[in-house]
Amino acid sequence: MVIGGTQSTPRDNLSLELRRGALVLAVLVELRHEEYGYSLKKLLADKGLEIDEGTLYPLLRRLESQGLLKSAWRVEDGRPRRYYQASTQGEKLAKELAAEWRALAGVIGKLIG
Amino acid sequence: MDLIDRYVHEVGQRLPHRLRADVEAELRSLLTDSVEEKARLAAIPADEGLAAAVLREFGTPKDAAARYAPEPQYLIGPRLYPAYVTAVKIMLPILAALTLAAVVAGQFRHAGEPPSLEVFVRATGRFLWSALENLGIMTLIFALVERTTREREAAGAAFDPATLPPVNDPDKISYFGRIFALYAIAVLVLAFNFFPNWVALFVFHGSEGALYPLLTPDFNRYLPLLNAWWLLAFVLNLVVLRHGRWTRPTRLAEFGLEVFNAVVLLLIVIGPPVFRYDAPIKVVLQWFLLFSAIRACVLLYRLLRRRPAEPWARR
Repeated sequence: MVIGGTQSTPRDNLSLELRRGALVLAVLVELRHEEYGYSLKKLLADKGLEIDEGTLYPLLRRLESQGLLKSAWRVEDGRPRRYYQASTQGEKLAKELAAEWRALAGVIGKLIG
Repeated sequence: MDLIDRYVHEVGQRLPHRLRADVEAELRSLLTDSVEEKARLAAIPADEGLAAAVLREFGTPKDAAARYAPEPQYLIGPRLYPAYVTAVKIMLPILAALTLAAVVAGQFRHAGEPPSLEVFVRATGRFLWSALENLGIMTLIFALVERTTREREAAGAAFDPATLPPVNDPDKISYFGRIFALYAIAVLVLAFNFFPNWVALFVFHGSEGALYPLLTPDFNRYLPLLNAWWLLAFVLNLVVLRHGRWTRPTRLAEFGLEVFNAVVLLLIVIGPPVFRYDAPIKVVLQWFLLFSAIRACVLLYRLLRRRPAEPWARR
């Protein structure tokens, strides 16, 4: 599953819209532990959720500006990296969104049979 | 890597200054990680060719910057653009008409001489120059309004249906009218304070244009009052634009400013001569004074007649 990238057809756009909602939840869940941008991208990709960099990084900044993530710059292997982690508020939201996701998945599952 | 540095620089140039250093550092780190990972997976050296491939995936610097930009980066947005187009469409014919009037006035002074081609060339040049000047002022005013009134709805702010305006809202504002007022004030402030010789009659004599200034140095005694009035009117228009509609306090301020306007005009009319052609100009000002007094009465009547501010005006 790939989220982001160049989309053109109506089917692609609707598909992208459908998946994009899941992205916030995926990021908040994975950031229960501290990760930097690229390691988070890899972590999600290893679990089957490929995310375009152009989508992931602005999302991280947006979540941080909303107080759902906290970040800190650290130098590792001689290179500065920005590490992100879910804030208390972000963790709380992740739990709420996860419950909603399960409920919604159940309902949609019943609808589509 | 040179390509990454150039790319990061190009993205940074398209971002607001306060974000630039932070986004550049993060972007550089991300791109370097991506290139190194690709090199590791393909067991090849991380070179410029690989960097180019990563950058192609990332998109043009313009696209990358747009994803990081906190808000749309435009001078005049879709909300104000129709009013801007209307304002320009009105301004250009007015300037053309004024230029033509200057040519015609010149012909009256040189009866019998047909206007030469040179007159029309100079008049066209004059028109294009003043069109550019006015277009610049107009664009600046619209950009200022765009920046000061851009809607910033607080996330999660409760919506109160009672604040919905009525269909025929008496307090609805005309964006075009308010912004045109700002433009007019800006032109007046510039002309009276910095280019008093431009407050003049412009007439073409033969192929040469000539300015007949209207103000004498004595007029400066009224400038502080006029500047105060223009400043207050400018601020009021900005406040009204920010609210998006008239409210009781802004209506009250509008009335106060109209009274102020009438008083200033009265002082000029009954005061000593301050114009080069004092008598005819003061006749015109007397009409302005009459209009201003009537308008103040109408505004007061409207204020007294209206009930206390309705819910939609209490924002």
